[in-house]
Amino acid sequence: MAEKKWRALDHCDDHCRNNDADVEQDAVQKQVTKQISDEWIIVRDSECVEVTTTDTQIALSLQLAIQAAIVAVISITIGDNEQGKNVAQDLKQFMKTKQSNRQKTIIEGSKNVKVKTTDTDISVNIQALLQILVTVVAKLDVL
Amino acid sequence: MSAIPNKVVDLLVSEIFRKNNVNIENAKSKLTDEQKQAIRDLVDELKSQVDTFVKESSSSTKE
Repeated sequence: MAEKKWRALDHCDDHCRNNDADVEQDAVQKQVTKQISDEWIIVRDSECVEVTTTDTQIALSLQLAIQAAIVAVISITIGDNEQGKNVAQDLKQFMKTKQSNRQKTIIEGSKNVKVKTTDTDISVNIQALLQILVTVVAKLDVL
Repeated sequence: MSAIPNKVVDLLVSEIFRKNNVNIENAKSKLTDEQKQAIRDLVDELKSQVDTFVKESSSSTKE
């Protein structure tokens, strides 16, 4: 008779039911910036292929930096009160962006190929955010 | 190189201020000169970073 095969989930069955910890979910949702960049580049049976692609990480941190700057400016000038929060909220509403960018590039049986992929969405987003920051700051006579 | 026409952004921001009864003059007076300078520096810094990023990602085939 073969012994019953050990499985990690077995011991959740009976004895040790100590996993009743309450999981509290933080209801406060900060600026939602969902940016999904899904890029596939497949190079197959090829040589001398040069691929250049957009660095999404830089873009994302830039985006966060601009958003933080907007909130900071509002907080200093209007104050960390109901009014300031509402203004920040309204601006955030506009900044809320969800988008996904999917690209698939397949290079097969090729030689001496140069490929450059660009994520235009992300550039446009960042430029738009910067515009909002500049406008807010200009209205406050800072520039 | 604006993503959205400047007038649109201007209108949007003005409208948000108006809607929330923001007294611009009052808000302006809260800024110290140092704060203004700090904000200016920050904006310039972000601008140049964005410019670099946009240029790099839109420049056509470069070695």
